[in-house]
Amino acid sequence: MIQSIICNMPRRLLSPALVLSVAALISGCAGPAGGGLTAIGIESQYADVLSQIAGPYAGVRAIETNPNTDPHEFEATPSVARAIASASLVVENGLGYDPWAGRILAAAPNARRQVINVQRLLGLPVTANPHVWYNPRTMPAVASAVAAALSRLRPAHSAYFQAQVRRFDASLEPWRRALAAFKRRHAGTPVAVTEPVADELLEAAGCTILTPYSLQIAIMNGLDPAPQDVAAEEALLREHRVKVLVYNRQVTNPLTTSFLELARRSGIPVVGVYETLPAGYHYQSWMQAELAALEHAVSRGASTETLGPGAGHP
Amino acid sequence: MYPLELIVPPGFLANEPVRTALIVGAGAAIVSAVVGVFTVMRGQSFAGHALADVSSAGGSAAFLLGISPLLGFLGVAALAAGAMEWADVRDARERDLVTGVMLGVGLGVTALLLYLGTIQGSTSGAAIAVLFGSMFTIPASIVPLAIGVAGVALVAIAVIYRPLLLSSLSADLAQARGARVRRTGLVHALALALAVSLAAMTVGAILSTALLIGPAAAALRFADRPGRALAWAVAIGWAATWGGILLAYDSFYWTPGHGWPVSFFIVALIFIAYLLAGLARWRPRQPALRRPA
Repeated sequence: MIQSIICNMPRRLLSPALVLSVAALISGCAGPAGGGLTAIGIESQYADVLSQIAGPYAGVRAIETNPNTDPHEFEATPSVARAIASASLVVENGLGYDPWAGRILAAAPNARRQVINVQRLLGLPVTANPHVWYNPRTMPAVASAVAAALSRLRPAHSAYFQAQVRRFDASLEPWRRALAAFKRRHAGTPVAVTEPVADELLEAAGCTILTPYSLQIAIMNGLDPAPQDVAAEEALLREHRVKVLVYNRQVTNPLTTSFLELARRSGIPVVGVYETLPAGYHYQSWMQAELAALEHAVSRGASTETLGPGAGHP
Repeated sequence: MYPLELIVPPGFLANEPVRTALIVGAGAAIVSAVVGVFTVMRGQSFAGHALADVSSAGGSAAFLLGISPLLGFLGVAALAAGAMEWADVRDARERDLVTGVMLGVGLGVTALLLYLGTIQGSTSGAAIAVLFGSMFTIPASIVPLAIGVAGVALVAIAVIYRPLLLSSLSADLAQARGARVRRTGLVHALALALAVSLAAMTVGAILSTALLIGPAAAALRFADRPGRALAWAVAIGWAATWGGILLAYDSFYWTPGHGWPVSFFIVALIFIAYLLAGLARWRPRQPALRRPA
């Protein structure tokens, strides 16, 4: 199954800064204050939303701050397996992005455990683009499902969880407004990408992705790209047929590096995108920062190759 | 539309990844075929395969360190070839054992380096590129180095051609005639390392055996003289490599929008040539069957 060999490891993000920030995120809500509930977001962006909805009522842990793990590479340690097996609530991405998590859950059946599989939640086919959190409709649905699951586990705090969902939805409003504004001003902006990471954000912003999808898939899966596709991407950059190159910071190889250099030489602005929560960001501020970087690139021709230190609060 | 365009589609030769693949692929095919004839004659096919597998540790180390993969393959292959010649195990069974153990160690180290490279180096696709080749992602900057490596290997074989031929046919006879068998063996081993590194760059470490052994084995099935065997091996290897690149390029149009790996097509063409060579040997009066695919 092609989806199961998806994506290789991210890597650069395993920086001390990120480890610290995730540790802060976890310790901020974990411990006795968690009221005995442990919730796990397999990917760090789901852990972020989990902790925003659960507030003080659950200890939240992110397993993969580097979720883009090749199943050949990722080896769940016994402690990770124990943590997942004993959690009350687990949010996994699905779409072949974290198949090992499903295997651990199946190996440790627990009728009371709540599992949210985002692929199933959204009703997506297994071949869909796995980077669903870039779609503006995804996280509100996840937040509601998280609140429903938490309410089943702790019915007494149901009203609190529902209120947190409303707060979360409201905090996404600036991003949605910015998306609408971008679409009004720059509809149909031609862009090139290296991987389908932020494709759903680009589509929501009304951009037209000119990179062949087969090239995006080949880079994402670490396969031999077709030379026709490589030539097409190079032509997009060399002949200035795109206004931005959207570049996945977490998966690079000699080919993507050559695209990056060609974009720089051709004076095409570059926007770096990520597959996990960058250091110092919450989900909302991360998405706003990516959109702001895109806006900068399109209207001023300015590159944002890496996101700066995040502002923090949602 | 010219009839040629049905076979060589427009844009094929103007495509930079294709041009790099054609040049580096031809160099790898020619050197592998020439060295391969001697390797097969010397009964060192398994050693040639093991050398390629061990060199994958160098290729994956290059990914981890961010240096040219050709240099990585080259360094480890040359070290391993030198060690294998130096050990000079005479007994064939023991040689296979030692070779097999080295092969295991090499691939084990490759597994570790690929893991580290994937976690730390932010690289993607290293495993496929190192083990199975990724011809259309070879950077054009590697071309001068590849041509240089191919040239050195061919010159080395040319310089020791006669003693190498003699010692490959019969080591005892060569010794009796006063040839420096050990030095010849060492030069052959180093040329083998160069051939294997080039082949690993193109079709990957695991499949480089196909380029090394396949054309030579096919040629030796029917060619009656060493010179002719060399010429046929070069023709088969070269044709299979360029044919494979062309088919991979064309496959973009008959597969659902992606194209199949070059390595598959090259190895398939070599295998077909090997089968045809067998037919040619059985019925030597039908010269039409002697043509390589």
